[in-house]
Amino acid sequence: MKIVVKLNGRNREWEAAPGATLLSVLRDGPQEPRMTSVKRGCETGDCGACTVLLDGQPVNSCVVAAARAHGHAVTTIEGLAGDPLMTALQAALVEHAAVQCGYCSPGMLVSLYHLLKECRAAGTTPGDHAIREALSGNLCRCTGYVKPVAAATAVAATLAAVGRAEAGAR
Amino acid sequence: MWELKEYRIAGSIGEAVAMMRRGPGKGVYIAGGTDLFLFPPACDYVVDINHVGMSNIARTPDGDLFIGAAATLHDIATCPLVTGFAGGLVSAAAAHCGNRPVRTTATIGGNLCNALPSADLAPALLALDAVCYIADEDSQESLPLEEFFTGPRRTVLDGRLLVGIALSAASGGWRAAARRLTRSAEDIALVQVAVALEIDGDRVGAARIALGSVAPVPMRAMLAEALVEGELIANLDPDRLADAAAIAAGECEPIDDHRASAEYRREMVGVLTRRLLASVLAGSTDTSPGTDNEGGAA
Amino acid sequence: MTDFVNNRAGGAQVGRNVTKIDAFKLARGEPVYTDDVHPAGMLWAKVLGSPHAHARILDVDASRALALPGVVDVAWHRQVKPILHTRAGQSHPEPSPYDTVIMPDKARHMGDRVAIVVAETLAIAEQALGLIDVKYEVLPALTDMDEALARTDVLVHEVADPRGIAEGGRSNVAARIDKQVGDVSAALKTCDHVVERTYWLPRVQASHIEPHVAISWLDEDGRLVVRTSTQVPFHLRRILARILELKEADIRVVKPRVGGGFGDKQEMVMEDIVALMTLRTKRPVRLEFTRTEELTSARCRHPQRIVMTTGVMNDGTIIANRMNVTADTGAYGSHALTVQGNTGQKVLPMYPCANIHFQVTCLYTNNPISGAFRGYGAPQGCFALESHIDEVAKVLGMDRLELRKKNHIRLGDTDPLSAKLGEGREGLSRVIRSTGLETAIEMGCDAIGWTRKRPPSAPHLRRGLGMALAMQGSGIAGVDWGAATVKLNEDGSVNLAVGATDIGQGSDTVLAQMCAQELGISYEKVRVLSSDTDLTPFDVGAYASSTTYVSGGAVVKAAQQMRDQLAGVFAEKWACPAGDVVFGDDNVSCGPDKAMTMAELATHALYAAKMQPAATASHMSNESPPPFAAQFADVEVDPETGEVFLRRFVSAVDCGTPIHPGMAEGQIEGAVSQAIGYALFEEVIVDRAGKVKNPNFLDYKIASALDMPEMVTILVPTMEPSGPYGVKAAGEVPIDGPAPAIVNAICDAVGARLCRIPATPERVWRQIKEAGE
Repeated sequence: MKIVVKLNGRNREWEAAPGATLLSVLRDGPQEPRMTSVKRGCETGDCGACTVLLDGQPVNSCVVAAARAHGHAVTTIEGLAGDPLMTALQAALVEHAAVQCGYCSPGMLVSLYHLLKECRAAGTTPGDHAIREALSGNLCRCTGYVKPVAAATAVAATLAAVGRAEAGAR
Repeated sequence: MWELKEYRIAGSIGEAVAMMRRGPGKGVYIAGGTDLFLFPPACDYVVDINHVGMSNIARTPDGDLFIGAAATLHDIATCPLVTGFAGGLVSAAAAHCGNRPVRTTATIGGNLCNALPSADLAPALLALDAVCYIADEDSQESLPLEEFFTGPRRTVLDGRLLVGIALSAASGGWRAAARRLTRSAEDIALVQVAVALEIDGDRVGAARIALGSVAPVPMRAMLAEALVEGELIANLDPDRLADAAAIAAGECEPIDDHRASAEYRREMVGVLTRRLLASVLAGSTDTSPGTDNEGGAA
Repeated sequence: MTDFVNNRAGGAQVGRNVTKIDAFKLARGEPVYTDDVHPAGMLWAKVLGSPHAHARILDVDASRALALPGVVDVAWHRQVKPILHTRAGQSHPEPSPYDTVIMPDKARHMGDRVAIVVAETLAIAEQALGLIDVKYEVLPALTDMDEALARTDVLVHEVADPRGIAEGGRSNVAARIDKQVGDVSAALKTCDHVVERTYWLPRVQASHIEPHVAISWLDEDGRLVVRTSTQVPFHLRRILARILELKEADIRVVKPRVGGGFGDKQEMVMEDIVALMTLRTKRPVRLEFTRTEELTSARCRHPQRIVMTTGVMNDGTIIANRMNVTADTGAYGSHALTVQGNTGQKVLPMYPCANIHFQVTCLYTNNPISGAFRGYGAPQGCFALESHIDEVAKVLGMDRLELRKKNHIRLGDTDPLSAKLGEGREGLSRVIRSTGLETAIEMGCDAIGWTRKRPPSAPHLRRGLGMALAMQGSGIAGVDWGAATVKLNEDGSVNLAVGATDIGQGSDTVLAQMCAQELGISYEKVRVLSSDTDLTPFDVGAYASSTTYVSGGAVVKAAQQMRDQLAGVFAEKWACPAGDVVFGDDNVSCGPDKAMTMAELATHALYAAKMQPAATASHMSNESPPPFAAQFADVEVDPETGEVFLRRFVSAVDCGTPIHPGMAEGQIEGAVSQAIGYALFEEVIVDRAGKVKNPNFLDYKIASALDMPEMVTILVPTMEPSGPYGVKAAGEVPIDGPAPAIVNAICDAVGARLCRIPATPERVWRQIKEAGE
């Protein structure tokens, strides 16, 4: 079946089997370029290695029908290249040695990006529990989550400081 | 990869049911689809109901809460209409279901229509006397949620479409709390208990005790409820609550599986029911595992 | 993250938290893993797994599958030459039994290989699986270790291992060990107390988030290229050459970035399949396991039953220790001997005494295959021993910390068991030349609040503290070795080629730091290539906690050799003694007026001296110095539900000198998270028919961010004389202690001793009930 999506800001037309998952269409081709940041890890919506944004909300693309994305916007980490918040998160994960094998990192970053964007819009700063809750769908077998949470906490604190400075300037 | 022949997208409720009835072969409704991709059912086509206007959450003029079957678990977890209803019992249940990305697309309708004994929203909804609205091609009917489940993975639907769930305005004022017992933080529940009590001055009005993962279908422990319903609060001492809890444990029909034994599940129905009754009577609804209130006043 | 100040002066490259060299590309999701690059014309492979745990594959009819458009080939046992081998991925000569062929004529576990399909798309390959007709002769399934031991009428392997390692054809025993120091039976009679308990360890799975995946093709010279997510490219090349009857020269194994391995990718789980199908079809072939295949057909940690018998005097002196292990290797004997050997060898030396007896019976069953998994037998042994020490202390009425302090291994102690137990043969004896264990215990006690246990946070909870000590090794003494090649370029950059495999732990970065340290340049000038059997020198691979200690030694040697060459070039140009040439801060100098940048010296070497500064060096250690860990758990238990709430976990770890402290901490934190799963909720549950009941992440739970306690990680640096810069290993030792520490804490909280993990709510509840009766 024909599926039209806005992938990373560009309209794309996919030919996909009716039972295809969004993950398989994004990752396996034959559509080029393949979105290699979207990883296959469990296919049950548990590990989060395939997390992408569907209309700005995080989803596990392995348990979402490709057809479900018809007419919607799909964003992968490739589409957030250069986005200041994503860049800050990537830098923080790297600086905090929170990237080990890196297989879960893009999914984790998409989840954190969504959390911090939502918090910034709401004018809140996520605490440890909110960060862990946001990451609970991204299984990582390497880090024990200590350094990823520390990295996210650091970015959240920076955002809060920037927010305060902006409020002060007004 | 799921060997599916056709993905049908419905534009209205009537069209959805018509598409389902049309055949050939077997069809399944799909909204979020998360559960369907876990264990793809043998079917020839799916009918996507995301575009039929069933994702609304609203209060009716007389104060009832209506949740469309295609409302996502995330919306239910965060919508102020739900978080403010009966102590947020239903939104808390939604918030504990899966993980954040799953909750973006998974829906209340999917959770109920899959009819797993462990359906996460079922105990909370049963405890608030939820009513199901079901559409056929040219008719609609409603029935209590207790009558919706007919067995593991079986419902009354038979090709009809679950349109939504309604909770009466009265139940929105009930005091309620729930608890699910798991092996790890995010897990299929071993045991679920939801308790809702209508507090009417010095007396309990309606009392609901709903159980999940401990019977072929989510269920109410009505004999236990009867021990509490209409009672003077002063009479509901720890012994009485323990009696009610023991009766609830007797009412469930758990099985042994690789996650837990029937014996443990039954015992835990007793423990959790007793604690939840105590904490709800004491006015506390934060019963997350390992917290102060969770032990109950007993 | 801790920075180690002692090494920071003078532009030091080691001991610093530098940026992991591959981290940014990983965080950007760039195409760097095996499955991220698909060669043109690639076919998709799927394995038809056996629906029976034990069945002869009498006949396979693939005609219906082959008739499906898009199906290119189907292979099964009649078409594939049966050459016995082991998929264990170990050094030659391999200590695991040769009990495996590429396509077996008998399925030995559910999911065992029956047929391989390759097709133009994944969907077609999956569809074709359903069109293969197989005739099975179903055999009785042995899924219980004791039954497997008792029976000789049903044999999992009817053919004897040609090298006599296992007892195929005679019994279901895959490996036996019986080693004794002193005389335990006699010594036990002299002891004031003899304490005996039995402990049970579950089957758990590594669960790297990137599944096993491999892609192979024939290059323009007709050579076989296998690009795969592996820990052991060189072992793979050797095994593939033998079983496919190719020359090693005609095989190239390439390891790109790997999404975690943890031992499970030490095994040749699928590379032979893609290689076989590429040779048959002459086309690129890709195979990736699903999570279900990972949990049914990859490798698990060996389930074990351990009987611990300890003789002790009233004053707490341990006189004798016996560990009797019965283990389940599943359908094949991968690592059957060596994992079980480690259960004693890496664990019993913690409490040296004159009498130590270590016995193993490792059995074939029709359960999923066991194999290598981080810790490699030690987590099982450590659980038994460290639980047992608490039990001994209880019998003695002695403080469990004091009992440990009185008996634990110390600087200068020898470890007699190591000499008796090498990698499947006589090993090398071990003397402790560095230990931070005393400091680790002290710092860990302080961090957990050992002497000031906090009250429960709610009236219905009980609080408990628990601890465990652990030791491991740094590579396999006298066996593990690696080589490194360094080459200088005219801009002063260095190519470092290593066979050592970065599988996410960050060894490329650590090795770059070590190389840069020796050459006096910034680590950013080092370009690391790992690993490609055509381009990088040999290394046994990433296992046995060996890379920093063993492969790092090779890097240091190679860099030193090239530095000596450069000193010679410099000395000739400036007419100064080569011995006075100093390297540092990207400069080379001899006195204040003779100096060049490394780039200038490199340019001079290449264009004036006309020589390529380069060196290859090999390194092996006859020692395997143990890293040490003292680990502590603070738990609360709900006695009515059996739920355990892990509040805080402290690891104090002596891994020698940390080259990259942040990544060393990361190793510890990751190991602890895996071990928390082992302690509390991870278990691959197999029913009596051999079927895995929870073959997905829905039901096989690994720790999420919400399962983690407050984590305290303390590095206790020591200077190990045999390791470059004083390093020891870090990767495995921290996975040993958490399970016993947590279970000891549960016992402290509610008085119930869990001899079986995972300590699920139901198990804890049941144990509390039994303890109360």
